[in-house]
Amino acid sequence: MHDSKPDSLLPLPPAVFHILIALADRDRHGYSIMQDVAARTGGKVRLSAGTLYSSIRRMLEQGLVEELSDSPDPASTDERRRYYRLSRFGKRVAGAEVERLNTLLQQARDTGLVPGA
Amino acid sequence: MARANAIYKALLYCYPAAFRQEYGTQMVLMFSEELEQVRRLKGRTGEASVWLRAALDALTVAPREHLHVIVQDLRYAFRTMAASPSFTAVAILSLALGIGANTAIFSLWNGVIHASLPGVDKPEQLVMLSDPDQQGMWIGRLSTREDGDRPYFTYAEFQQFRDNGNIFSAVMATESNFDSWQIRVGNGEWEQARGRLVSGGFFQVLGVIPVLGHAFTAADDSGDAPYAVISYNYWQRRFGGRPDVLGKTLGMRKTVLTIIGVAPRGFFGETSGQQPDLWIPLRMQPMVLPGVDRLHDKSPEKVMWLHVFGRLKFGVTLPQAEAQVNSAFEAGLESFYSGVLTAENRADFLDQHIRIRPAARGASSVRNRFSEPLTALLAAVGVLLLIACANLANLLLARGAARRSEIALRLSLGASRGRIMRQMLTESLALAIMGGLAGLGTAYLLHRALVRLMDFQMSFSLDPTVVAFAVAATLGAALLFGVLPAWQVTTMDTGEPLKEHSRSATGSIGRMRWGRFLVSLQLGLSLPLLVGAGLLARTLYNLQRVDLGYPAERLLLVRIDTREAGYNAVRRDALIRDLLEQFRRIPGVRAASFSSLGVFSGGNSALDIQVEGYVPRGDKDRNSAMDVVGPDYFSALGVPIVLGRGILESDRPGAPGICVVNAAFAKQFFDGRDPIGRRITSVEDHSATCVVAGVAGNARTQNLRGDVRPRYYFPALQFPFDIPHPIFLIRTATDAAPILAAVRQTVQRTDASLPIISAKSIEEQMAPLTAQDRAVAQIAVAFGAVALTLAAIGLYGVLSYGIARRKSEIAIRIALGAQTARVVGMILRETTGLIIAGLVLGAGLAYAASRVVTSQLFGVAPQDPLTLALAIGVLVAVALSAAYLPARRASKLDPMVALRSE
Repeated sequence: MHDSKPDSLLPLPPAVFHILIALADRDRHGYSIMQDVAARTGGKVRLSAGTLYSSIRRMLEQGLVEELSDSPDPASTDERRRYYRLSRFGKRVAGAEVERLNTLLQQARDTGLVPGA
Repeated sequence: MARANAIYKALLYCYPAAFRQEYGTQMVLMFSEELEQVRRLKGRTGEASVWLRAALDALTVAPREHLHVIVQDLRYAFRTMAASPSFTAVAILSLALGIGANTAIFSLWNGVIHASLPGVDKPEQLVMLSDPDQQGMWIGRLSTREDGDRPYFTYAEFQQFRDNGNIFSAVMATESNFDSWQIRVGNGEWEQARGRLVSGGFFQVLGVIPVLGHAFTAADDSGDAPYAVISYNYWQRRFGGRPDVLGKTLGMRKTVLTIIGVAPRGFFGETSGQQPDLWIPLRMQPMVLPGVDRLHDKSPEKVMWLHVFGRLKFGVTLPQAEAQVNSAFEAGLESFYSGVLTAENRADFLDQHIRIRPAARGASSVRNRFSEPLTALLAAVGVLLLIACANLANLLLARGAARRSEIALRLSLGASRGRIMRQMLTESLALAIMGGLAGLGTAYLLHRALVRLMDFQMSFSLDPTVVAFAVAATLGAALLFGVLPAWQVTTMDTGEPLKEHSRSATGSIGRMRWGRFLVSLQLGLSLPLLVGAGLLARTLYNLQRVDLGYPAERLLLVRIDTREAGYNAVRRDALIRDLLEQFRRIPGVRAASFSSLGVFSGGNSALDIQVEGYVPRGDKDRNSAMDVVGPDYFSALGVPIVLGRGILESDRPGAPGICVVNAAFAKQFFDGRDPIGRRITSVEDHSATCVVAGVAGNARTQNLRGDVRPRYYFPALQFPFDIPHPIFLIRTATDAAPILAAVRQTVQRTDASLPIISAKSIEEQMAPLTAQDRAVAQIAVAFGAVALTLAAIGLYGVLSYGIARRKSEIAIRIALGAQTARVVGMILRETTGLIIAGLVLGAGLAYAASRVVTSQLFGVAPQDPLTLALAIGVLVAVALSAAYLPARRASKLDPMVALRSE
């Protein structure tokens, strides 16, 4: 899966894209991803545990994220927690998705569907 | 909080085990943190929304995860299948055969024995007054049945039921026979069509509404109704489904019918196993079958030929209906027979009654006849599927062994046993489903072949019952052959196969034990199929060689219809004499005569008689079969006269009335006394009296099975009643077939308007008698062969596998000087153990199975030792040859090569 083209995974399901964004600035565990998504969307998007881990399971298989063997936060003492990191491939896929959305937005503006910036 | 966590953990059981193991802890952690947070910030409402989302997850995300695992497993399964195409092909092929054969036989069994009439409204409310299992016609004074139950009714009796408004909401009648008619569409060519005469209320009572046009109604029973309703299949086949079929005319004998309607698709009428092309109102009988009137009886003779169906009025029970119908019926009999009733014969005439039975399954002449063979065949194909499953289980066991390293690796990498078991079962299921799909195709083909073989008219339809059966067979098969190998592989010790690799000298005893057990099971299951096939084949052989009491070859049977051609009794006698003289002059004809029943014509005639000097012990003791025959009948047929004389030209009106009896008659009624000169009188009609002039040998002219019944033969010229359809018996010196043309020409030349009803050689005439036995025997032999082949493949596989695993042991033995013969002997000895175990199991099964086919057998005992010995012989021979190949290969092992490869 890792050597597949980024475009082949597009368009990304909203939950997957949200997770990629949450992992962009730093490695996080599940609850932290959920909180980050909620904070950025003003509480509008709240990923449930099932949706979150089902998405992570798929993203791991597709090579979008990787699981860390150690906690990146030395202060964290909870050994049960698992942390995830955005992979290089994940970054490329996220970039491709952004580009796809950009093009779409541009087209919407060009045709006058929405006012231009 | 602990309780909330426990509930959430329970909810996680909705997810696949692998997912739960991987992410369960994280999810519980995340859930409890979130719950704590919302409790703090939002209180109860926030908490509720968290629970709601967790529940929604279980309903939406969890099934998606399951689907993901299934897709993954399937993908893996297909990869495994593609990696070993020959295994996959064998597996799918044997499953297709097993499931297909089961579905085909089940579909027949269901259609013939169990299913309600298709296309009929509320079939469970239908009742039948006649006997659903009978098909035919009886002309005479009395009912044919010893128990007094009436199998068929006359038209007048039907009218009586129909007009009795208290019991039935509606009543209709159908001709119990299934006719083959010559018809022509418009002014086209004459062609064959099959159909049935039915009363006007036929479609109403069955609740059938035509898809095109309309049906005839009960009102059409009272007047002329030159109409026909055609079946959907006939409409499609003959008229290409064109709507302008309505109004087209059908020419038939002396009338022209107009097509007024097309029956709906899937409706075949009231008799299962038959598919009429058209239905014609009963009232049209004199026009469609000219020369006879079956609608009116001339007292005291009744024409009993109709099945009667009805629907009970609301609230009327079967016993009530039966009581009421019978009291009216008896009153009707009393008045009908009033002219001939005497104190002595009263009981004979009036001891007739009606049984009303539920008729959801309709009438069927084949149900009774085929119920046992079909049930036996269903059991046989069930066993066949079991053998196929055992075979597959064996193949999977061997393959599981080959995949042990792979599976051990996966286990040691943390895959759970449940996960691997699930994976392996998915593989079995995928195989079974593919086998099942291929099996449906096989079922369709087999069904067509079976229907042709058994002469049913029944199309294969995937009705819900049949589909449910096929699905159940598929799933059952997958479980049967999949569970054991999956369980075997997953219960192994993880470390062992990795260490062992393939260095074992003895093979894994446990797995081999299962393989051996399965092979013995297969051999054991094959034995009853072989024994059954042997018994049925011997039955067929015996039936084809039954001593008829006359030569069963070089005999022509030609039946003509003198009534339709307008002959009266006097002219008919002259015609027959003329025809006989001409037949005898045809080159190659040795003798010719005629009789009323011919041989194996399906007709029958029997009378209650008084025999001079004989005192009957009971009512049943005074019944004899009877035939009316022409001069030289016995010499033409080839039946010896053992005492007195046969029937001569001089036995004509005015001469003393005589008759000839057969040996069975002489034994039953005279028992050692001299029969010559004794008087025989019909109980019903004293004018049919004769004096015994001779005794003929027993001749089988009706049935191949059972004893030859007592019969007496009346000279045709002295017989007081009409013989409208005489059957000529023409004995030829050589092959009969070429002479048939000359016989036809002779009839044509004598009177071009004289219809020949049938003209056959005795071989053609007798073929249908053994058709069912031949079909059943052929199917049984085919099943036996397939079962044996599968068992041989299984044995071959297990031995090859075992030898491959014991290569080094065998190599060492050879290196130490063991002879080829000793190695082969060693392996064959082990095989013998398997065969003996199989035979012990099989002998028990064969004993049980022989009881199922008992009633099918003829001239061979169900526990016939010769058949059993033969079946065992074939089984042992095939098993040993299957074992010989791998044994031979083992003995040819080069010890150096074998040991080096380890």
